[in-house]
Amino acid sequence: MDHLLPTEIIEAGRAFPEALAACGDLDALLRLKGAYVGRDGSHAARLMELLKTAPKEQKRDLGAAINGLKQQWEEGLKVRQAELEAAKKHLNALADRWDPSLPPPVPARGALHPLNRLMDRLVEVFRPLGFHVEEGPEVETEAHNFDGLNIPEDHPAKASSDTFYLAAHPALLLRTHTSPVQVRTLLRVAPQLAAGGGIRFLAPGRVYRKDEIDPTHSPMFHQVEGMLVGRGIGMQHLKGTLEYALRALFGPHTEIRLRPSYFPFVEPGCEVDVSCPLCEAKGCRVCKGSGWVEILGAGLIHPNVLRYAGIDPAEWSGWAFGMGVERMAMMLSQTPDLRLFFENDQRFLNTMGGLD
Amino acid sequence: MWIERKALAAEIPAAAALETRQLCELLAALGFPVDGVAAREGAEVLDVDITANRGDAMSHRGMAREVAAKLQQPLAPLAPPPVTEGAPRVQVRLESPACPLYATALLSLGEGTTPLETQAFLRALEASPKHLPAVDASNDLLHRYGHPTHAFDADRIRGAVSIRQAKAGEALVTLDGVARTLAAEDLVIADEAGPIALAGVMGGEGTKVTESTRRVLLESAWFEPKSVKATARRHSLHTDASHRFGRGADPAMAAVARDLLVHRLQSWAGATLEGAWTVGGLPPVPAPVSVPETLLTRVAGEARPLAEGVEALRRLGCAVETQPGTLVVQPPSWRHDLAIPEDLAEEVLRLRGYEHIPSVLPPLEGPPLPLAAEYLQRQAVARRLAHLGFHQTVTYGFISPDADAAFAVAGNPAEGRTLLNPLGQEYSVMRGTLLSSLRSAAEQNLRQGAREIRLFELAPTYTSGPQGPAEQFTLGLVWGGTLGGEDYLNPARPVREADLSGMARDLGLARLPEVRALGEGLFGFELPVADLPQAGARIIPTFRAFSRFPSVERDLSLLVDLGQSHETLTAAMRAVLPAGILQDLRCVDVFRHKSLPEGSQAWLMRLRFQADRTLVGDEVDGWVASALAAAEALGAKLRA
Repeated sequence: MDHLLPTEIIEAGRAFPEALAACGDLDALLRLKGAYVGRDGSHAARLMELLKTAPKEQKRDLGAAINGLKQQWEEGLKVRQAELEAAKKHLNALADRWDPSLPPPVPARGALHPLNRLMDRLVEVFRPLGFHVEEGPEVETEAHNFDGLNIPEDHPAKASSDTFYLAAHPALLLRTHTSPVQVRTLLRVAPQLAAGGGIRFLAPGRVYRKDEIDPTHSPMFHQVEGMLVGRGIGMQHLKGTLEYALRALFGPHTEIRLRPSYFPFVEPGCEVDVSCPLCEAKGCRVCKGSGWVEILGAGLIHPNVLRYAGIDPAEWSGWAFGMGVERMAMMLSQTPDLRLFFENDQRFLNTMGGLD
Repeated sequence: MWIERKALAAEIPAAAALETRQLCELLAALGFPVDGVAAREGAEVLDVDITANRGDAMSHRGMAREVAAKLQQPLAPLAPPPVTEGAPRVQVRLESPACPLYATALLSLGEGTTPLETQAFLRALEASPKHLPAVDASNDLLHRYGHPTHAFDADRIRGAVSIRQAKAGEALVTLDGVARTLAAEDLVIADEAGPIALAGVMGGEGTKVTESTRRVLLESAWFEPKSVKATARRHSLHTDASHRFGRGADPAMAAVARDLLVHRLQSWAGATLEGAWTVGGLPPVPAPVSVPETLLTRVAGEARPLAEGVEALRRLGCAVETQPGTLVVQPPSWRHDLAIPEDLAEEVLRLRGYEHIPSVLPPLEGPPLPLAAEYLQRQAVARRLAHLGFHQTVTYGFISPDADAAFAVAGNPAEGRTLLNPLGQEYSVMRGTLLSSLRSAAEQNLRQGAREIRLFELAPTYTSGPQGPAEQFTLGLVWGGTLGGEDYLNPARPVREADLSGMARDLGLARLPEVRALGEGLFGFELPVADLPQAGARIIPTFRAFSRFPSVERDLSLLVDLGQSHETLTAAMRAVLPAGILQDLRCVDVFRHKSLPEGSQAWLMRLRFQADRTLVGDEVDGWVASALAAAEALGAKLRA
């Protein structure tokens, strides 16, 4: 039969199986289909052209040969198409299968600063006892920072060697503690005190002292002070409140210890220790083996502080406490160097403070 | 202050029976925590922390008084009999009220030196003995009894001695070898040639006792604490004497200390007393203090018998009378810190022990006040930003003038925010911007190898004003480095300025703050916290109705010019869409490729419609067609 067909078509017929096998995807198969059995210009089309001009007596045999070849090609293509479609389906099925062990995309994690977290936590702890938050400026007057707090003229903290003053405003300084907030608040509430029946608040914030920067000192640090003024308030209420708060902060088995101490703005004054929260008072590096850690200073408000604000100490009394936030944060987190809190390395911040 | 155990037991024999740990606990309970214990010169010494108000406790005798009161045990009597006083051998004139009392003695020295036991005692307290009996005996007395005394070389004193205010500009070389120019406020001891000592602070070089000294004039005085403190501060000269006089020495001890000093010099150095005399008298005794029983109760935390107060105060050396419901108390001459009723109530509690204070929660007298809106707002913003992957920083409030100038706004001169006495130039200005501090923190993180920096700070910034710097809480935020690239779904790309605009939008800002380039691939903005939307005011937010009918989403793939503004395009599309029904219109994909016509890009715009009814395909098609027409009016084409 081959003698009826032109040589190039015979060659194409021979090459077809190999070309068909080489089709790796459906696009290639489509191109092959076009080349062999397409409407225009394909091998099959050219054979059909040949048939038109063939002598009459050959037409029958030639037609049968052409049809046979075309059918052969079409079947081959069909089979290959089915194969390729099956393969694609398989690949698609594989692609749709999710490997659960692949790491999922995780949103970027930020963190609150550990000092802010601790201050926020303290506010949370005192909130159920009715404390709100009072704030004041960091650039303060000498009157608010010293005079109103019964800090005498010759107190070391008043010396320019301990305190930052403003060059253009020599009567202004960077507050050395958050206690001026107490003075400001007492001055403000004094007229309404009787109607309101007392006041209780926390004053968290930044303070400044002229300390060189080293692993345990910083010229800027944070304090949280608390103050309560009411009728008949005594040391028992200070102890009761601090016991409640420090247990909420460090755990229900925490013990507290008050020791006499001296601060010009309270009388009596005391240092407050907690049983070491890290070793449960067994003795460790943090508590220097004593089982106790000094945590804050406190006392009953000095009558001169109340008088300065126009509050009669015969009718009103109260207590105040103050704690260093960095010191407590260092102790709780066992951070060895205070400077880490101000370097703001994202690795440190990530380690220290996720969100609660 | 160092306290030697043996020397303490010499003053309060009962202390000898206590173990060191017991003694430390007892001192701590009295308000004198022990910072450390050391062994020196074969003795045990305690490093006792003494608060600024307790000058009386700065000696072995003072500490012994405390221990004796707590243990209810007697102090050892002061051994030597008093020296008999006679006529002055050197004229002493008191010319300032800052020195009401000056006890003195004149002695000729014989042979002999400081006993070895005393030398060891001084060394144990880290006070090196000078092997000059007059000097060492004065030092020994200071540590044992707390009263500073001084010995002058009597043969080097010219004429009468006066205790007077210095004349401004007068000079004195003090024992430390420093030539000091005196101020009129300084109290000095002077002879007829000029000042020979800074009263209560330090003696002068010209009259100091040396190995060749044959005769000494002893000084045991009482100086006003304020005067001594001011002089010590003015000359930065903080000595053992100024510490004790500055905190208030016991005036009644002046003559006793002089007598003790005379006895020591007689016994150690074979001295002969030429005469002893006192000029002036004890300063006036303050009025007694009335302590109401109610105050004793309030301070103790519970009602206590009045007799307990009487007993405790007497143990501390007070003279106490009782009146109905009140104690009338005369504090002892050594306790200058007991001036008001609260001081005395504290003493009663202190002797009883702070451990006995009951623990009681204060009664609530009314509803708690709410937290301030701005405070809540800062907390909410901080938490929001932390959830968005930002790290909160805390940086110093003062920065260098250059760092401040880099971002502070015009009209906020640094002069009004400059510190008089900064730690250094780099900490000299109260900052008008947070961006410099944040930039430093970001750069530091990048140097440490961080891929992406997301930092913020909420802190005051300062604005110069006629009354001083005004403060306002400010939010500063920086973002930089490489975004993404750490999981297979988010390819890496540099942080862009536009990312910060998105962040500002996320914070609910109506107006976008100016985004500043802080460095290569590092952007930041700052704004007053007051400009951020309020949060936390409502416990339950207002209900906004939403449809329960399904929403319909359509995508429009548009070919737009590279210069096309997204804002203009979406505004035009929104304008032709039904406002209540269009829920969202956003660009969800940007495609730029060489296969696209030159100068154009493809935006995939997604439109979401929802109404209080089921939407019909035709009406949605109509809206989409209108949106497309609006886009086409701006030159966009539907992508084939």
